[in-house]
This record gives sequence, structure tokens and C-alpha cells, in this order.
Amino acid sequence: MRIGSPKETYIADEALFRTRTQWMWFGILLAMLAIYPFVANMYWIFLLCLISINIISTTGLNILTGYTGQVSLGQAAFMGVGAYTVAWLDNNTGSPFFINLLAGAGMATAIGLIAGLPSLRVKGLYLAIATIGASFILQFIFINWESVTRGTRGINIDPPRVLGTELDNPDTFYWLVVPIMVVMVILAANLFRTRIGRAFIAIRDRDISASVLGINLPFYKLMSFGIASFYAGMAGGLYAYFFGAINPESFPLLMSIFFLAAIIVGGMGTILGSILGAIFMTLTPEVLRYGVDFASPFIDNPSQILSPLRTAVFGAVIVGFLLFEPHGLAEIWRRIRRFFHLWPFRT
Amino acid sequence: MIFKKLARQFVAPVAAATLALGASFSASADDKEIVLGGSIPMTGPFAFAGIQFDRGLKDYVEWINAQGGIEGHRLRYVGEDTGYQQDQSVAVFRRITSRENVNFYFGDSTAFQQAINRELDRRDILMTGASFASELNNPDQYPLQFLLGPDYSEQVGILLRHIADESPGARVALIHSDTEFGRDPIAFGRNMAEQLGLTVAATIVTPPGAADISAAALELRRARPDYAIFHGYVLSPIPDFIQRARQMGMDTRFMGTYYTMDQGIINEMGEAADGFMGVMPYRYYYDEEGPAPIMDAIRELHDEYQSTTYIQGWMTGVLITKIAGETIRAGKELTGRNMRETLDSLRDIDTGGIMGVPANFLGNSIPIGRIYRADVSKGQMVPVSDWIILD
Repeated sequence: MRIGSPKETYIADEALFRTRTQWMWFGILLAMLAIYPFVANMYWIFLLCLISINIISTTGLNILTGYTGQVSLGQAAFMGVGAYTVAWLDNNTGSPFFINLLAGAGMATAIGLIAGLPSLRVKGLYLAIATIGASFILQFIFINWESVTRGTRGINIDPPRVLGTELDNPDTFYWLVVPIMVVMVILAANLFRTRIGRAFIAIRDRDISASVLGINLPFYKLMSFGIASFYAGMAGGLYAYFFGAINPESFPLLMSIFFLAAIIVGGMGTILGSILGAIFMTLTPEVLRYGVDFASPFIDNPSQILSPLRTAVFGAVIVGFLLFEPHGLAEIWRRIRRFFHLWPFRT
Repeated sequence: MIFKKLARQFVAPVAAATLALGASFSASADDKEIVLGGSIPMTGPFAFAGIQFDRGLKDYVEWINAQGGIEGHRLRYVGEDTGYQQDQSVAVFRRITSRENVNFYFGDSTAFQQAINRELDRRDILMTGASFASELNNPDQYPLQFLLGPDYSEQVGILLRHIADESPGARVALIHSDTEFGRDPIAFGRNMAEQLGLTVAATIVTPPGAADISAAALELRRARPDYAIFHGYVLSPIPDFIQRARQMGMDTRFMGTYYTMDQGIINEMGEAADGFMGVMPYRYYYDEEGPAPIMDAIRELHDEYQSTTYIQGWMTGVLITKIAGETIRAGKELTGRNMRETLDSLRDIDTGGIMGVPANFLGNSIPIGRIYRADVSKGQMVPVSDWIILD
């Protein structure tokens, strides 16, 4: 039972982990991530790699939508910019993968800053529509700029190499994507200990008040778009390396909706929400497959009968979250923590 | 009492499931087994075909095992739904290959088949699937993949060959969706039309499943083609195009490629379907011309119409049987590379009548097809050409 967490300094108040217990749990989490590839099979390692990519992109969108209040449906298209930049560099310059990834993220940032310009004039649904417009323009470029994107035929990408070793399988790629994910999540968490992060939150809560307090709205709104796009670009670059082939249909509008759903289900405006949302959205359809497996002995043709049901259950679970836990999985997590803080006493 | 009830309702089924799972694991340990994995789109926009692939593959596997299997090896099919999403298709591939010793794999889309190519090489698995993308018809880049018929370019090529034979010098319009699927054969089609002395009067692009085709229909009227080839659609907006063309007094003959040509799709077109033509690499369920033991087996199994995508499932099985059978007879292991060598050596493959002529691979595809026309009064697709083989 924890009876208190006194914050005697401003630094202590801003700390990411405020107690030794939290540091201990963080250490255990890192240790588990390090052990994971040695105990899990290739399918589960694949899923954790995919979850890591989705966490990076979801975190970026949560910075923009959850923390700054700028609704965007362009996250998948910005991922596409990162992915195509990485693919082009990989095929044409042979530059090292980390340069390619940074260039992909940088290019997505630049495009994100341009796509974010409408946010200076419009917000809410209007901004969402403007970002859909940006997605369509980028999709058009992916299809028609054949000399760079190979059009609808798509591009194949060689796996990244580290010290002569190809990271061409989930169990090797894991050591690239998971550390990047951890670093990017920590960077995002730290962002909200700074003036920039607090400015984002102020803009979300009341932009006029933020402006009165001296926050430069255009500057910070665009910065938020830039950071979200950087995250998307990095996720897109990793996606390109992970799957080894991309085409314009790899980054559909539905994918942006997936990320938006992830931050809503996970919890808007919390880093933990991004992580839990991405895990939930990626893993639930996969876990529901086990329901199909389990029903196999009892139902004739289970895959044909239960596969559509699996999709419906997934949709129902999302609707259920919106109705019964609008603050998302992060709030459930907080309640569980509160319970154990005072355990065995009732809250 | 409650416990006993629970035991009956819960424990017994769990025990049964465990036993069944145990049985499936012990089956997978059987050396004399050939495993066909599948990323199957049983939900999502391609479900109309995915469900039929799944049925066709299951029925074929049951049928061939009842015939004694493939050279004494039992064929087993393990397919899971992907929702027609690339990441889920890859996840299903990983899930199945982490549990099973897979020899063959059925993919659900071009994007997935491109993405998984390197993994096939590593795991030495031979793949086929739903895609007829021209991009995949490249043995240097995709050595462990083969198509179940002509690629999309070859499908358009077969249509153009028929047009050139029927109406030399005709004017042709190419109408396609603005997707990877729709754009695939267009450049090839334009070149081939030119080589055959045909005129490409217009190339019209629409969004997939476009609701409003007014501008595109006017463009078609201006071009006044003798033939219009649709590609990259399943149904919409083809009926709308045909009806508007008829309203405008045009006598253009409309054609489609494989995924548009199923009887069910043609039926949904209604009156607009009358006279609609297209290329089909497989016989229709009711096409009883010539000896066709596999088609007879399908008809024996089902006394009602079976879709062309269901027959595509059987075609997969027939080709797998030939490739695996020959590899086993040659005393080689059932690895992807060995089976690719077998595939390259196969000549005049007997598809049991699914294709009306012996099949030969050219690269990764089998460039064979026949032109069928919708006869609304008969409620059937009737052949209007002989089997056309592209070289």
C-alpha cells in the first residue's frame, strides 16, 4: 500500500516516474521486452513489431489530436510519405537505414507542416476534412509520380542491415523497432514536461485563452503538426522496412481512422492511452481468431461463419468503449492502479 | 450440483476442443502430409471471392484425399480470414507458418504477395493466390510464386486478340478504375492494340465503384468505340455505363476481365448484361463441352451453380497436385525451390477440364482464356471463341 507521494520540488512534480515502485515496474517492462523475442514464437514477435509501429504513429496522432486538439485524418498519408522516402533512398542511394528513417521522418515533417497550414484558420470537423484533402493529394502523388513511387506497381525495399546482419525477420527487426518505439514514447512523454507541451495543452483547452497568455498559436499548432508527422514518418519508414514492399494502397484513409480510433479507445491526451490503444486495436482482431480456433471442433465451417462475426465483435467492442469508458483504457488502468495503491483497503 | 452442470456445459466442450487440437497437432506431425496455408479474405471488400476460394479449396482437399491424396500424401488446408488487409494477411501467414510445416500458400492480394515474397524465399514455400497482377508475372523477381491463369495484361491481350480477329481495325476504349488493380494492364493493352492494328479511341479512368459516371459516359460517347473493355471493377459502374451507352444509341460491345465475369455478377447486372462479353480462363460450372473429370466431380458434389472463384479454388488444388506429385515422383523434397523446378518442367498440364486446352506456364502465368458472352434469355454465359493462347 502506498500512502503518499510527496512532491517537495518542482522537479519531483514534473518527473515521469515519481516513485521507486514506478521505476521498478518500468525496469521490469524493459526486461520483459528484452526477453520477449527469446520466448515468443515468430507470429507473436511479428505482432509486437507491428504494435510498436502502430504505437509510434498513434503517439504522434495523440500529440496532435489528444494534446493539441487538432483533429487529423492524415496520419496514414504522412506515414506514406515516410515510407516512400525510405523506399526511394533505399533503392537509389544505398544510404544507411538510420539516415533513411530520419530522412523519411524529416520529409513527413515538412509535408505535415504544409498540410497543417489550414489549422491556422479552421478547427474541429473543418480541419479533419482539410486533412482528408491532404491525404487525397498525397495519394494522388503516390500513384502518379511514377519515377519515384513506381505508381501502382509499388516498390520493394531491402531489409535494413546492421553490422552486416540483415534485419529481415521479425526476430531481428524487433531489435530495431522496439528500441525506437521506446525512445519515441519517452520523448513524447517528456515533451509534456516542457513549455512546448504545456502550450499544446493550453491550445487544446482554450485557444483564445492560450493566445492571451502569450502562446503563439500559429507557431505551436504547426509545431504540433510537424511533430505528429515526424512520428508518422518514422512509423511509415519502419513499416516499409518491415513489410519489404509498399504501394499506394498500403496507406488508405481507413488506416488514419484506425489511428484515430486507437487514441479514442486508448485515451486522448495521455501517452499511456496511445500505447494501450495501439495494442488494443492491433491485438483484438488477432485475439478474436482464437475464438474461431476454439469454436472449430463444434461448428461446421467455423472460419466462414465466425470471421464476419469477429469483425462485428471488434466493432461492438469499440462502440462499447465509447459508451461505457469514454476516457479510454488509460482511465481503466488508472482505476486499477488506484485500487492497488490502497489495497487491501477499499478506495 | 452447480459444479456438475458447469462440468457438463463447459469442461466437456473444452476437453473436446483440447482433444481436437491434440489430434490436429498429431496430424501435423505426420510426414506424409502436404500443407496448404492460406490468407483468405473472408470478410472485407473481397469477401465475395474469398468465401468461394475457401469453399473450393476445402472441397478439393476433401476430394483429393478421398482419391488417395497426392502420391500417398494427405493434403491439408489451413486458411484464416484477413479482411483483405495487408498487415492481417502477413499476420495470418506468420501465425500459420509458426504452427505448421507449410509447403504451399494461397495469398489474397497483390500487396500481400509482394510483401511476403522475401519470406517465401526464406521459408522455401511456393505461393499462388487471388492476384493476377502483371507485376507478379516475373520469375526473376517472384521465383516462388505462380498465377492461376493469365495475368491482367494477358487477359486484356486475349480480349484484344479476339477483337482483332472478329473486327480488324476496330476502335477500342479502355475503361479502368483508378486503383493498382485497374491500372495494371492499361499500358500493355494500349501497346498490344497498336500491334494488332486496333485503335485505342479512349482511355477512361473512374474511381472504383464510381456512383456518378456522367462525365465518363460522355467521354465514351465522344470516342464512339466499337468495343469497350472494363478492368478494375467487380460490378459497379459497369451496368450504368452500358445502360447510358444504350440510351445514347451507341452500339459499343462491352467486355470485362476475370473478376467481373462470374455468373452471379452478370446476374446482378440485370438486362444490361445481355451481350456482355469477357475473358474467362476456366470453364463455367454448366459448360459440359468435352471431357472434364474435375468439372464433373464439382457437378457431382454440388447440383447448383458454383462460382468461378470456387472453381479457382479447385484450379489451385489441381496445380498443387501436379506440382507436388511430380516433385515426389522425382524423389525430391517438397521445398519451394524444388517445386518451382518441377513447375518449370511441366508441359501440357491436364487441368481436368477446368481449362479447355492443356495448360503451359509462360513465366509465372498460364496465358490461356476464352471469350464468353452473357445470354440473358438462357441465363448463362456462352462461349463465343475457341480457347485463346497468348505466346
